[in-house]
Amino acid sequence: MKKRSLTFFLTLALGSSLLLSACGGNGSDTAAPGTDQGKQAGDSKGEVVLQMHSWRVEDVAGYEKVIKAFEEENPGIKIEFKPFKATEYNTILNTALQSDSGPDIMQLRPYGAGMALAEAGYLEPLDSVKGLDVFSKESLAAATGKDGKVYGVPLSLNTTQIYYNKKIFDQYGLKEPKSWDELIAIAKTLKEKGITPFAFGSKEGWLLSLSHGVIGPGAYNGSAFVDKVLKGETNFLSPEFQKSIERMKELTPYFPDNFTGLELTDLRTLFTAEKAAMFINGSFELEGLRKANPDLQLDFFPMPTDDGKFVITTWVDGSYGVNAKSKHKAEALKFMEFMTTKKFGETFANSLMRISAVPDVKTEDPLINKMADLISTSPTPYLMVVNFNEGNPTTKQTLETALQGMYLGQLTPEQVAQEVQKSAETWFAPFKK
Amino acid sequence: MDKTRTRTLQQKSSAKWLIHLFPLPALLVYVIFVLYPLFSAFTYSLYDWKGIAKGSFVGLQNFIMLFQQEPYNEMFARAFGHNVIYFVGEMIVQNGIAFALAYIIYRKIRGAEFLKAAYFLPRLLSVIIVGFLWKLILNPNFGALNTLLAKVGLQEWARPWLGDPDTALYAIILVNSWFGIGFAVLIFLAGLQAIPEELIEAARLEGAGGLRLLTRIILPLCMPSLTIMSVLTFIQAFEAFELVYAMQGSMGEPYYSTDTLAVFFYRLTFGGAGGGDTVAIGLGSALAVVLFAIVASVSALSLYVMRKREVQH
Repeated sequence: MKKRSLTFFLTLALGSSLLLSACGGNGSDTAAPGTDQGKQAGDSKGEVVLQMHSWRVEDVAGYEKVIKAFEEENPGIKIEFKPFKATEYNTILNTALQSDSGPDIMQLRPYGAGMALAEAGYLEPLDSVKGLDVFSKESLAAATGKDGKVYGVPLSLNTTQIYYNKKIFDQYGLKEPKSWDELIAIAKTLKEKGITPFAFGSKEGWLLSLSHGVIGPGAYNGSAFVDKVLKGETNFLSPEFQKSIERMKELTPYFPDNFTGLELTDLRTLFTAEKAAMFINGSFELEGLRKANPDLQLDFFPMPTDDGKFVITTWVDGSYGVNAKSKHKAEALKFMEFMTTKKFGETFANSLMRISAVPDVKTEDPLINKMADLISTSPTPYLMVVNFNEGNPTTKQTLETALQGMYLGQLTPEQVAQEVQKSAETWFAPFKK
Repeated sequence: MDKTRTRTLQQKSSAKWLIHLFPLPALLVYVIFVLYPLFSAFTYSLYDWKGIAKGSFVGLQNFIMLFQQEPYNEMFARAFGHNVIYFVGEMIVQNGIAFALAYIIYRKIRGAEFLKAAYFLPRLLSVIIVGFLWKLILNPNFGALNTLLAKVGLQEWARPWLGDPDTALYAIILVNSWFGIGFAVLIFLAGLQAIPEELIEAARLEGAGGLRLLTRIILPLCMPSLTIMSVLTFIQAFEAFELVYAMQGSMGEPYYSTDTLAVFFYRLTFGGAGGGDTVAIGLGSALAVVLFAIVASVSALSLYVMRKREVQH
């Protein structure tokens, strides 16, 4: 009996250790095939297989078209597109890179978060890639490291703007506003007619910084102020920025009842059920709005500024970079080059209904074309995402909670600006002096 | 005869030796999934972190930062306060009502079995579903609660329950009580049913009835179940995360009014909204260690104190 139980235990111990090592090995196993498979395939068929990681699980069909277009032009290179859940992507990618088993091509989060990978030495500089010069400096900024080198090819652009219901506007003879006062006048008229002017809620913080990203540039006249902030010549205590916060407050009477408890889904419902006439949101919301109500007569207007112009708030949504330790760098760089071409831009924009980062790309969607045109004529950066998404909590998050506090009557617009400044001073070099 | 006896003895002693091996698999799991993370969190808290890369050893720097530097110290104090309110609220609402319900069931009213099952039912749902369900009920404009209030002519009572900092935390405590009441009823009922019938009969014969019976006989004899439930409630209140996260997100919205230590920890360690936020693993680990110290010490202390007050029968 003794012997038997001993063997039993040994088996058990062996079994569990096998199980454990299986678990341990699993991580590298799933991440490794990229390079390994590629190598084997390269040896046997003269073909290179590149692994490409992304966080857009919903875009697989669209990417297939893009990749097919590339593979037709470049026989001998195959790309295996492998998306992960957006919320888990960072962890998966970081772990893979740390264990030297990352993909050849990877989607990079825009701005600071993605460039942290470059600082850690995981990314290949792309400055020598042909065609990179088609992108504007602003677009490339999303994938430029602190050393000034470019580490990613920008993929798509986002915009935020005020969507409106054309039917309701026509019904009451309203036109797209040319100034802040006209916007307020429109809101007043709608309210008198019993229609909620803005589908707006302050329960979810990110919607607040997003809305400020649209309203704010109207108050501080877009990019000129931004440049001064970035140089440290002015800061968030300036009258321009305070005015942008005050305007957020000025809109309060035109929000739905109980707006402090409303979330994105509520707002979407209000707007698509045609109970609210305007909705401040991003280009990424377009598809969803159309699907929720195909009969909705949807349009948008850019933000009128106080100096009589218009601006559209825009930022880069993501870019693609190359693993510095990839075994097929040359082939991966070829794909980077392909990503700068108009052919890529058009295939991408039309199959995924997004705004391509490649300039002058036309799609079948008039609203997306309108957004893309405005980006090239009158863009302004989404300041909080592009430049102030650092610190812990980030300055962007600080603005969000402070605005929440303002709508709950706990902070004045002045205090909101102070909180934002205080947060930026903890990490933003030009403010530190 | 002698031979067989020695053999059984021998067998017994070898069996005894083997018995010590049986906990090994469980111990292994415990070490890997409990002790190791606990220990690594402690070591993590002593280092400086650049994103996910471990930097240099900084001693207690993270702890000092957590308690002295804005905004962390404010957030910590506020979240700690909310945890205390959470605990008190749960004790009064969840455990108070649960004991009353358990007592009613114990007095053998009709349909006791059905009630027991009915109270326990919410517990079978996942916390995320409970959170989502109540978010719908409490929705300010389409929700069942405000609609009901309007129907009975109390529209001025209607509020954005989860969007108003004055009500949001209490709303979550009530939802959690609704969720946890069935479990507390079961624990209390088991405690009540363990009281020997003769003791109660004897007390009755001595003339004790109603309130006297409850306070002098039943409550003291129920002490073990009250103790365990209080400690469990304490642990649960100080680790409150899922419901807050499901209903108010990782920022403890609105305006940090529902922030708890565990949510604060999540925000620090894993960043806010899943995307490109910065993470502070060192600070987060320091907070986790503090949280562990609070929960472990208070639980142990209260168990010790309350056990002493328990009566034997």
